[in-house]
Amino acid sequence: MAKKKEKKENCLTGNCPDLQQPDESMVKLSEGSGGRDMQILIDSFRDKLPASKEWSNCGDDSATIKLGNENLVFTTDSYVVTPIFFKGGNIGKLAFCGTVNDLAVMGAKPIGLSLGLVIEEGLPKSELSQIMKTIGELSRETKIPVVTGDTKVMERGAIDKIVINTSGVGLTDKVLDIKLKPGDKIIVSGGIGEHGTSLLAKRFELETDLPTDSKPLHEEIEAIKEKIKRARDITRGGLAATLNELVEKDGVRFLINEEDVPMKDEVAALTQILGVEVYNLACEGTFACFADKKNADEVLKKLKKFNKMAAIIGEVQKGSDVIVQTRFGQKILSTPLGEVVPRIC
Amino acid sequence: MNEYVDKIKKIASDMGEVRIMEVCGGHTNTIMQYGIRDILPNNIKLISGPGCPVCVTSQYDIDCMIELALQGIPVATYGDMINVPGTKTSLRDAQAKGADVKMMYSIDQMLDDKDRVFFAVGFETTTPMTARAYKNGIKVFNAHKVIPPAMKILTSEMKIGGFIDPGHVSTIIGSEIWDNLDIPVPQVISGFKPEALIRATYLLLEMIKKGENKVINDYHEVVFPKGNPIAVKQIKETMKPMDAEWRGIGVIPNSGLAARDEALDARIVYKELFKDIKSTENPDCRCGEIVRGMVEPKECKLFGKECNPQNPQGACMVSESEGACAIAFKYGKSLSE
Repeated sequence: MAKKKEKKENCLTGNCPDLQQPDESMVKLSEGSGGRDMQILIDSFRDKLPASKEWSNCGDDSATIKLGNENLVFTTDSYVVTPIFFKGGNIGKLAFCGTVNDLAVMGAKPIGLSLGLVIEEGLPKSELSQIMKTIGELSRETKIPVVTGDTKVMERGAIDKIVINTSGVGLTDKVLDIKLKPGDKIIVSGGIGEHGTSLLAKRFELETDLPTDSKPLHEEIEAIKEKIKRARDITRGGLAATLNELVEKDGVRFLINEEDVPMKDEVAALTQILGVEVYNLACEGTFACFADKKNADEVLKKLKKFNKMAAIIGEVQKGSDVIVQTRFGQKILSTPLGEVVPRIC
Repeated sequence: MNEYVDKIKKIASDMGEVRIMEVCGGHTNTIMQYGIRDILPNNIKLISGPGCPVCVTSQYDIDCMIELALQGIPVATYGDMINVPGTKTSLRDAQAKGADVKMMYSIDQMLDDKDRVFFAVGFETTTPMTARAYKNGIKVFNAHKVIPPAMKILTSEMKIGGFIDPGHVSTIIGSEIWDNLDIPVPQVISGFKPEALIRATYLLLEMIKKGENKVINDYHEVVFPKGNPIAVKQIKETMKPMDAEWRGIGVIPNSGLAARDEALDARIVYKELFKDIKSTENPDCRCGEIVRGMVEPKECKLFGKECNPQNPQGACMVSESEGACAIAFKYGKSLSE
């Protein structure tokens, strides 16, 4: 007992080295939020994995490999979300659609998925059953089968409720990876920030009917595939992360006209209330695509059949950075850094 | 573009340099988000004052909370506070080491959690929520700040032509407080739309030119003379004024708040844990001058180098929505670069 007390006093006087020293050796939550922190983390270990000559697009949403006249497209993603049930869906819907969408934006027709479940001991079976029912319904609707899987259970507290991993393969004759050039138009397929706003509202207990936008995108992309150069589903890090990744990749500037960026009224209002940047918020069923100027109107017309909020939001220019033209001046839109946190006052 | 931009250009054409200070982080954010500084004439400077809650919180208060968390006492606070660097570490690092740190948006998220200590920061906008915490028996480490006394000190210390008074704060405390503040410069209470801030700037210039020293409530749709009387009553019932230390400014008499019920005052309840805390700041960090509007972020030699949002050296680099340095880092890169 006396010994314990002595240790406590040491901590109080600042002599508790393992607790008091800032420690860069530990992974922090912000390094998993899809922003720049995460990129730095990935860069710190990427070179430990040998590169492949046969595979292309390894840094993109999906990697591709040429097989005869076709390209096999392959992707994987793990899903953690709090809460696991939310307006318009659940973690199962995210896991299914997310992987389908990562394949679709490369131009592929998804042909099969794997499903890995890591479940926390104590998860109600009714919740698991609801999640699996959602995945089953999506699989039936899209005719994309789940063909292999794995299930593990971990002790209570070891993870938070459930972690889902899905991998997927798809095929395409044409991979959507054409370099962008000045004059190309930037199009989004619907209102931005709906998934992120809906979840933040629920997490911080604001009432709203706004559902997630989570949905499979392969049909929409199939409809415009021949007329676009690239597509990217907007996920964590929001439109800001998606656009910044591409300006760096293709060495161009994007000029976005803020008044043209589509957004539901609920999203505009809730992001104002929470004091968060809507460009940094995730979508789960909305993508950005890029088309030659002469094809842009046709692409938009087709996309509007799926979602009438689809819009041309800007154009590709010479230079660097993502620039947003506001009603007044211009601003640079940066890659978000880490977690999205509400403003205090 | 906007009729008031033209009016500002016209009225400013024969004025010298005018420095207008906004004291609300939300205003700073709008100004940067819409590039408003760039569209004003060169002699009209909008400078950011001590309006960012995390930025003005003293290093000592942050160190105390980190100590509490590291000693195994569950704590809760608002988002950005978690990332602010203390002398040695931050609440975020403490969390990675296993401390129980909860990020919250509303006090209702912790009312059932009576063992948790609430680290209360912010100005009069968030103070009513803290009153609710006290009324529900929650222990609070109170680091709230009251804005008017700080503005009085700033006007005596430096050359400020006028104030854009905080919008959300005024909805709570009302517009009469500003009328009674007795400072020698005009003030405009403004909303948060870019148009509102441009108009507020024009109204200030007009008063400065005429030598008037009035308060204009230009956010009258939500700011009333007596503010929100229910909130004010709750604050008065649960809290009393105390002297408070502001980062970069020092101790300002009666600019902070403390619990009336000492059993809920975490500074008193846990005072044994705090007695040996010695707080120091990075000597090169100029947050103190930045929150007073004396230097701009880019004048600090750490800015954008050792100090960046991934690795903030001072509090001003933390809040992406309210911290002058973080906002300047995010939006401030020159378009011609």
